[in-house]
Amino acid sequence: MAVSATSAPVPAPARFDFAKAEGNGIRDFLRTFAVAVRLGWQLEANWTDPLLFFIYSVAKPVSSALILVVMLEVIGGPSGRAFRPFVVVGSALWSFVVSGIAGLAFSILEDRERFRMLKYVYVSPSDFLTVLVGRGVARVGVGLAGAAITVAVGVVVLGVPFDLGSVNWPLFVTVFLLGLWSIVAVGLLMAGVVIQTRQESWSYPEAFAGALFLVAGAVFPLAVLPALVQVIGLLTPLSWWIAGIREALFPGGPGSIGGAGSVFAGAFGHAQPGPLEIVLALMATGAIATLGAVAVFRVSDRRAKQAGLYDRTTGS
Amino acid sequence: MAGIIDLVGRAGIGPHEAADWSRRQELMTDLRSVRGRAYPRVIGLAREPSWVLFEILLPFLATAAFVFVYRAIGAPQEYVGFVVLGGALTAFWLNVIWMMANQLYWEKSQGNLELYFAAPMHFMSILFGMAIGGIVMSTTRAATVLLIAGLVFGVTFSVDQWALLLGVFLLTLAALYGLGMVLASLFLVWGREAWHMGQMLTEPVYFVSGLNFPVARLGFLGALSVAFIPLATGLDAMRQLAFTDAAFPLGTPDPLLEVAILTVMTVVSILAARWMLITMERRARRDGRLSIRWQ
Amino acid sequence: MPPLAIEVRGIRRVYSAKPAPVVALDRVDLHVAPGEFFGLLGPNGAGKTTLIKILTTLLLPSAGTARVFGFDVERDTKKIRRIMNMVAGGEQSGYGILTVREQLWMFTQFYGLAGGDGWRRVDELIEAVGLTEQRIQRVSTLSTGQRQKMNLARGLLNDPWILFLDEPTLGLDVSAARSLRELIVDWKRAVPGRTILLTTHYMAEADELCDRIAIVDHGRILAIGSPDELKRRVQRESIFRLELDHLDGGVATLVRLPGVVSASEAAGAIDAATRQTVVMNLVLEDDGVLGQVVGALARTGSEILGLRKSEPTLEDVFVELVGRGFAESDAEAAGKAG
Ligand SMILES: Nc1ncnc2c1ncn2[C@@H]1O[C@H](COP(=O)(O)OP(=O)(O)O)[C@@H](O)[C@H]1O
Ligand SMILES: [Mg+2]
Repeated sequence: MAVSATSAPVPAPARFDFAKAEGNGIRDFLRTFAVAVRLGWQLEANWTDPLLFFIYSVAKPVSSALILVVMLEVIGGPSGRAFRPFVVVGSALWSFVVSGIAGLAFSILEDRERFRMLKYVYVSPSDFLTVLVGRGVARVGVGLAGAAITVAVGVVVLGVPFDLGSVNWPLFVTVFLLGLWSIVAVGLLMAGVVIQTRQESWSYPEAFAGALFLVAGAVFPLAVLPALVQVIGLLTPLSWWIAGIREALFPGGPGSIGGAGSVFAGAFGHAQPGPLEIVLALMATGAIATLGAVAVFRVSDRRAKQAGLYDRTTGS
Repeated sequence: MAGIIDLVGRAGIGPHEAADWSRRQELMTDLRSVRGRAYPRVIGLAREPSWVLFEILLPFLATAAFVFVYRAIGAPQEYVGFVVLGGALTAFWLNVIWMMANQLYWEKSQGNLELYFAAPMHFMSILFGMAIGGIVMSTTRAATVLLIAGLVFGVTFSVDQWALLLGVFLLTLAALYGLGMVLASLFLVWGREAWHMGQMLTEPVYFVSGLNFPVARLGFLGALSVAFIPLATGLDAMRQLAFTDAAFPLGTPDPLLEVAILTVMTVVSILAARWMLITMERRARRDGRLSIRWQ
Repeated sequence: MPPLAIEVRGIRRVYSAKPAPVVALDRVDLHVAPGEFFGLLGPNGAGKTTLIKILTTLLLPSAGTARVFGFDVERDTKKIRRIMNMVAGGEQSGYGILTVREQLWMFTQFYGLAGGDGWRRVDELIEAVGLTEQRIQRVSTLSTGQRQKMNLARGLLNDPWILFLDEPTLGLDVSAARSLRELIVDWKRAVPGRTILLTTHYMAEADELCDRIAIVDHGRILAIGSPDELKRRVQRESIFRLELDHLDGGVATLVRLPGVVSASEAAGAIDAATRQTVVMNLVLEDDGVLGQVVGALARTGSEILGLRKSEPTLEDVFVELVGRGFAESDAEAAGKAG
């Protein structure tokens, strides 16, 4: 098992160092984080294994997109065809979201049930949260490759028009990083949930992501949803993230947030949000999501400690 | 202490008589073992209600997302029915992957596997028990998805042959869980890698099984799926029987032929599971792999 | 003649492992009579668990034969499984979501008890092992000691003729371990013919519980016998621990007596700093010499405050047989594993 990677690659101090014993804020944090990312990488994202690469970065995301493409084909007609690029890109982005969300939660389940390590990770001085987020980030790498490959398949095989020259790179980078933050926050929320639930929670993170799929405008514009559901979508950072990446990759293409008869258009008076609006909305909703997620996680963590949930196994 | 001292079961019977069971005793033990293994799953349903949210309501929302895709492109209403039926059957499929296929590996790491083998029942009873418990779980979920979808999206079924539809449904379950039994033994041999194979059985299999669309649309690939993946066969047969009014794309077999395919699948998978268990037990006893050593 | 409870002939077990195959058991022979409480004592990695797995039909021997009540472990697996059960230390079996009662009932089903009989048996056993208060508590919330009591109850559900206990008190505190041992002894005593094979690496546990013990190391049985027999092997002289109020002339006065092999002041004796008493270890050729020693002491005016015969322990036996202590063996095993 790759657990030996937890020993930090730092030479032991020759003599007792008070600064080290007391913990060195940001340095400790970064070191823990780096180790956790590496651990996650070795456990989850072993890219040297072609089979795993194929499963996670090709088969799953491309199949998800193909399901949608065939759905459009079945109905046919001009509206279906025009919709294809929208759906392929949205599906690719979504697979990235799912891998990020599921990553953190799986770390909890896996450590608890398979390696029985959770209680040891937990009592080690490295901040539990840092370890978790670090491992989640490692999974995000897998999701990123999946998204890129799906878009590539879309462009090459499915005729999705794409012009690398017209990509709005500053917007892409800004939105991507902000969105990554939000994805990790939602993942943390799920981690907080599965600490409390039982062994068969493997499908929970994806179920939660599946529900967000409905409101995030990934594969259809929010405008087709009932107004109340649209509002929930507008409060979800993932909706803005998807809208922002779409806008960056396909400037001026069909958007998912607004459109005729949408709640957004009704409230703000124009059809689609511009780049600045997207970034601001992403920051605002992302901040709320982060606060909420950290709160849920902390409460769940405290409750788990009190009830001794970290070293229990709970299958049926 | 009195309890243990008084506890002289089968008084006056020596070890040899105690080891000598009648056919009936053996059969009853196997049947009771099925009940025993199903028990924690059924109990678990009521005990940790988080599954209502995570295994019924949230998956329903994911299914709903596909309904809105069809709505966005103005598809006819029966396609909404296709999606909903697909969503309902996915409940069973997910249960087969996570609570059958991946289960034995988990039981092994927990130390249960050893105790099951050390007990006198046939190990198939454990697999049947797991399956029955799982079916109770997922039937609840599938029924809820159908019910809510019926209310929210106004899905209407047009059924001519109710008995056949019910039969196909039960056969589909048998074939699905039969496959689950095979996978359980297989995944046990593969160990941790199997978890990744479970992932391979989600989206890719959804796609080739025609999760949200008639599988006939996939042409030859669809026909292959109907021949080999019980999810595809059952889904296609049930769609044909539940939406007789729909303009159905041609290309997949008649429901009766699909019934035959499902029957063959069930028989083959149960025999295969039995054979695999026997082989696996022999190999594991030879190689010392019925338990994971933690120390 | 009724068959032996355990009959092991020339068992060898090799695990294929990297970098080299591990010989876990090598030419092991063992006979255990029905009704015996038999112990396998040895350090970690000695091969104890391997032998239990072979006898419980979970592992095949690489060579040799083993029988349980006359049933062959390779061929008559079903019959053996009907009359045996097993409990291991630190066992986490079952499903955390069930209560103690439910979990035990589930296991009764695997032994074919009718539903109602199962519940009755479970309730009897819960009371017997003292888990009545925890009976509707979830398994995942039990303490280690409670958990192990429940595991023991599980092992008794089918009223086995032979019970295999693999380090059953592993990780338990002193009082939990004691109460578990008492339960085991009571259960065994209740019906003649109940047989127990226990493995342990706690000397005192083997000494206290077992009628006979096999000392194992590196896959070999080094010695078999009752605890007393084993200890007598290393006991060639009588050793006493003697406490006096004072001793004029020091230990030398005692060494001069005939039959006294050696006398030495014990290190770390009580009140050594204030020198109020003298504590010494006295090695005599045999117990008979003690009378002369006592007489000699009376003549010098020393008052005897305490006199205790030191028994050799199984630890001494092990050191004698293996040439190293138990703790060292464990450290060696740990070093290999790491
Ligand atoms: N499944 C296995 N694969 C490889 N080696 C094993 C296996 N099980 C046990 N061993 C090795 O066999 C030896 C005996 O182990 P074991 O029977 O568990 O000893 P004990 O129970 O006395 O501690 C040890 O060296 C151990 O590492
Ligand atoms: Mg052992």
